[in-house]
Amino acid sequence: MKDQWTDRLSEYLDGELTAPERTTLEAHLASCEGCRTTLEEVRRVVTNARALDDRPPAADLWPAVAARIGLSPREKARPVVRRFSFTVPQLAAASVVLALLSAGAAWLIVRRGTVPTAPVAVAERAPVLLNASAYPGDARFDAQVADLERALARGRGRLDTATVRVIERNLRIIDRAIRGAQSALAADPANSYLNLHLAQEMRRKLELLRQAATLAGARS
Amino acid sequence: MELTTPGVATLRRDPDQRALRDAETADAALAASGDGRAFERLYRTHVARVHSLVRRMVGPDHADDIAQDVFVRAWNKLATFRGDAAFGTWLHRLAVNVILARRTTLGTERGRYDDSADVLDDVAGRPAAPELSMDFEEAIGRLPDGARQVFVLHDIEGYRHDEIADMLGIVTGTSKSQLHHARMALRRHLDR
Repeated sequence: MKDQWTDRLSEYLDGELTAPERTTLEAHLASCEGCRTTLEEVRRVVTNARALDDRPPAADLWPAVAARIGLSPREKARPVVRRFSFTVPQLAAASVVLALLSAGAAWLIVRRGTVPTAPVAVAERAPVLLNASAYPGDARFDAQVADLERALARGRGRLDTATVRVIERNLRIIDRAIRGAQSALAADPANSYLNLHLAQEMRRKLELLRQAATLAGARS
Repeated sequence: MELTTPGVATLRRDPDQRALRDAETADAALAASGDGRAFERLYRTHVARVHSLVRRMVGPDHADDIAQDVFVRAWNKLATFRGDAAFGTWLHRLAVNVILARRTTLGTERGRYDDSADVLDDVAGRPAAPELSMDFEEAIGRLPDGARQVFVLHDIEGYRHDEIADMLGIVTGTSKSQLHHARMALRRHLDR
């Protein structure tokens, strides 16, 4: 049986009626068995919908996806094994790196406020910023690093040598962390902690380079 | 289209979701730098959800093709994923956008939003006996396009009516109306 309230039951269930409408409908429900039954059925539909299981496709789509995005066969398929298995030395090393990075970042932040607004003279033997070619295989990362290093090199004359030394020191720390993570991942590619650690260090390097390039006023 | 976080979709989380999210954010960063293995891990984790969303939205015939499109699009847009939301949330919204973009070529665009209850009658016929009751998923698949898409987006995926209206190019009232029609039709296919 359908009445004027039947079409409002979904809105009632979803909490979308005004307070007066809700009061009126609840009074109606108290006296209308048909609407109470319909409301319960609609509620069960919603419950069923939220409990539906996701099903994978009948056939694996990955080979087609991999082909379309241009992945080579060697980049395909390693079994997905998510597990946390890292050693105490790895954790200790990570702690040291994080501590050093925090100190370096704090120093940079403090230092940032003292950067002169006008270009300053740079010693002829100013430190050379690190090479971007240390991570073959991560083409986009390499390209971004190279781009930022070029931008930084162009504006390096605006930084004093002490600032450049700090930037270099922090980049070396990050580079060591990246190399360590890459080395560990070579032995345990599916280790989610190591993947996370590597990605964080790569991001950290990009962020440091961006900050340095901004300091140097070399980027648009 | 602005990325938002669907309600129910956000609630459907595992207890160790934070660890999973961190690992996926890491994989997304690796994939963005060209790591195919990291992207395959993301694919394996999310393919069932993406494929199910596509299948429910457009039906089984084109589900494989469109699910592939979703992952190809995701690969090409990985640089725009910044980790502000979970990777699954980002991928899910991207999938919805891919699906909706394909509606035009599949003939399920806005013009087919019939707001009448009559169009649901063929779905709504109550089975004579419980054993004849069709599978709930199959019943969803037999809903008219508009009602089905609104139902999937709202009741399964957790989007709000204003988000759905924006995505589908309809008014909020139509979204609410379609949802109610879909629920009324589907209640006849509940297990008894």
